[in-house]
Amino acid sequence: MTKTVTKAGLLSRRRLLTTASAGAVLAASPFRINLLQAEEAPIKIGFPVPLTGPYGAEAQDQVRAGQLAVAQFNDAGGLNGRKAELVVRDDKLNPGEAATRTLELVEKEKVNFVVGSLSAAVQLAINNVTKERGIIFNSISQSDAINEAADFSKYTFHEALNPHMTSGAVGRYAFPKFGKKIAFLTADYAYGHEMVRGFLEVGKEFNIENLGDIRHPLGTTDFSTLLPRLQALKPDILCISNFGRDQQIVLKQATDFGVKKSIQIIAPLLSHASRVAAGAQAFEGVVGGCSFYWGIEDKFASTKAFNDAFRKMYDGKLPTDYGALGYGGVRTVLEAVKSAGTVDTEKVIAALEALKYDYYKGPQYYRKCDHQSVQSVLVIKSKSKDMKNESDVFEVLSTEEPSEKNLRTCEALGHKS
Amino acid sequence: MTEATESIKQSQTSAVGWYEFATRHRASLAAAAILIFPLIMPFTALAVNILIYGLYALGFNLVFGYLGLLSFGHAALFGTGAYLCGIAVVHFDWPWYAAIAAGVFGGLLIALLIGVLAIRTRGIYFAMVTMALSQCIYYVFYQAVDWTGGENGLRGINVRTIDLFGLQIDFINPLVRYYAIAAFVIAALFVMSRILASPFGAAIEAVRENEMRARASGYDVTLTRLLTFVLSGGFCGLAGALQALHLSIVPIEMLHYETSGLVVMIALLGGMGTFFGPMIGAAVYLVLENLVSVWTVHWQLIVGAIFIACVLFFPAGIWGTLIGRGRR
Repeated sequence: MTKTVTKAGLLSRRRLLTTASAGAVLAASPFRINLLQAEEAPIKIGFPVPLTGPYGAEAQDQVRAGQLAVAQFNDAGGLNGRKAELVVRDDKLNPGEAATRTLELVEKEKVNFVVGSLSAAVQLAINNVTKERGIIFNSISQSDAINEAADFSKYTFHEALNPHMTSGAVGRYAFPKFGKKIAFLTADYAYGHEMVRGFLEVGKEFNIENLGDIRHPLGTTDFSTLLPRLQALKPDILCISNFGRDQQIVLKQATDFGVKKSIQIIAPLLSHASRVAAGAQAFEGVVGGCSFYWGIEDKFASTKAFNDAFRKMYDGKLPTDYGALGYGGVRTVLEAVKSAGTVDTEKVIAALEALKYDYYKGPQYYRKCDHQSVQSVLVIKSKSKDMKNESDVFEVLSTEEPSEKNLRTCEALGHKS
Repeated sequence: MTEATESIKQSQTSAVGWYEFATRHRASLAAAAILIFPLIMPFTALAVNILIYGLYALGFNLVFGYLGLLSFGHAALFGTGAYLCGIAVVHFDWPWYAAIAAGVFGGLLIALLIGVLAIRTRGIYFAMVTMALSQCIYYVFYQAVDWTGGENGLRGINVRTIDLFGLQIDFINPLVRYYAIAAFVIAALFVMSRILASPFGAAIEAVRENEMRARASGYDVTLTRLLTFVLSGGFCGLAGALQALHLSIVPIEMLHYETSGLVVMIALLGGMGTFFGPMIGAAVYLVLENLVSVWTVHWQLIVGAIFIACVLFFPAGIWGTLIGRGRR
């Protein structure tokens, strides 16, 4: 009895030894090394986005669109056969976590580039880590601070809109049309503050009257005490600067409170995902800005091509605004790699700066001084009838064409000309 | 029969001998574990985070495990340490050692401030008062945008090289950064071990075990509590300062009450009132969170389930249960 056990043990140990040494021989064999050399290491793009948390839906759309850009690059042959790869990480909407994840992407995954983020604080955290290590970072989330000289570095690019551009476009559209008395309801964090600053700045041109700004903390679930106070101010326009779930809840409650009967609600950004989640009624009549809407496909061939490719890859789904940014952010970097013919950081920076591109929403380019993507801003309104499909939720009221005039000047941002 | 009893006795004494040896040299053993730690971690930045959160939990454990007070405001100590270290580098261009000193000083100062106000309360009231005061600190830093960056967080704590007596150490290199930070953590472990082994350490535990008897024995209970809380602030402030240097940013989230809650969880998971438990707790929690969140977006579900299992099967914490078995 004991004997058999020992024997079996011996046998298995012998087998283990044989297998292990065979493996070792194979691993050390020239054959395997040849295999490795034939396939060069892929071009890695780190992609930290908040897959969990209140912006999860938007982030997952960004990943889908980013994967599409990578797939197109690879299908077209990559960089002389060298393929690209997206390394997705969850930053949990927390700057500390984002910084840690970026360190992982740079130090362990050895990514060539970083694209991503969906919060002002998070993108600034990522940017600080990447610029110290000389890695190109293309941010796809709104922020004014990232353009400013203190945070900017030559490695920093900003594919998304910034609050100044967005609120400017919406203000220029709304103030002459709806009236001059404005009340603000603002999420009490950088995004909200920067949006209000933008609205007030553009409001100077139209002599708007600021009736007051009520701040609410991020993640507020009940606005019932704030809305009557805003109604009592009797504004022409109520400007609500918040995002994600906050925006969905406040618009639902504003509808229930009858705010919309006498007051025009505007928002700097109307998010596609939020509109779909909250439904037509809540967003009815609200005017806001966005960077991309799939419906401009009858205007731009690039939008049509992007929509079709997205539909094909994801069973007829259409890309959202933030998703499109994921596509734009990854595609610009990969196109720059292609035109530079290398992943060398300095050469890719030069290629990005030289890029005049139209990949999904009409013409764009990166301004030299702050690497902000100069692009169009759409002013849109939520739609409740005549919808062609489930993604047909907005109508485009006007388009602000790309112009450096709508950006803060390089001098104002602290860049030396 | 007698032989068997003998051998059992012998093995028992040797087990006890080992246990005593391990207890006596706990700081050295912990240091040895820390030195080989990055080799078994998925990536170095995570290993550094574990060290820092371990140190933060170590400081917290001094109050929670040894003094027996549940503080819900330790984020204020951790965050102030980080902010003062960051501000020293960003706004005053101080060298790294002065910045770390500023962080430790910040932790001590805020601990003194909170301690003076909160130390007379007990139990749940102590938890509530510390939490309220730490929220005050949160808003102070949140509003001082020019100094702290407010919501955007403090950026630009860029220390590329550490100048150590003429020796230039590359702080960007991940492993070098790990060992540089580990040096501080190990030093803190030795200091902590010394405090706990000192007569003052005994006084801390005396106050926890029986306040009345401690007072009757001539100890100043209030002063002991306050001093312990302030010392805890020093450790947490150091952890915060190291975190600021490690990530090169200070997010406002560091001062958030969730950071206070996290350290309670880490201490409970590792084992409250054990020397090395906080480190184990930090390692288990952060590794789990990082591994599972790469694998699925529903990581909270899985981490939560594992946490419940830990509470059910290791009521004294992972490390607490293990050394409890070892002692038997």
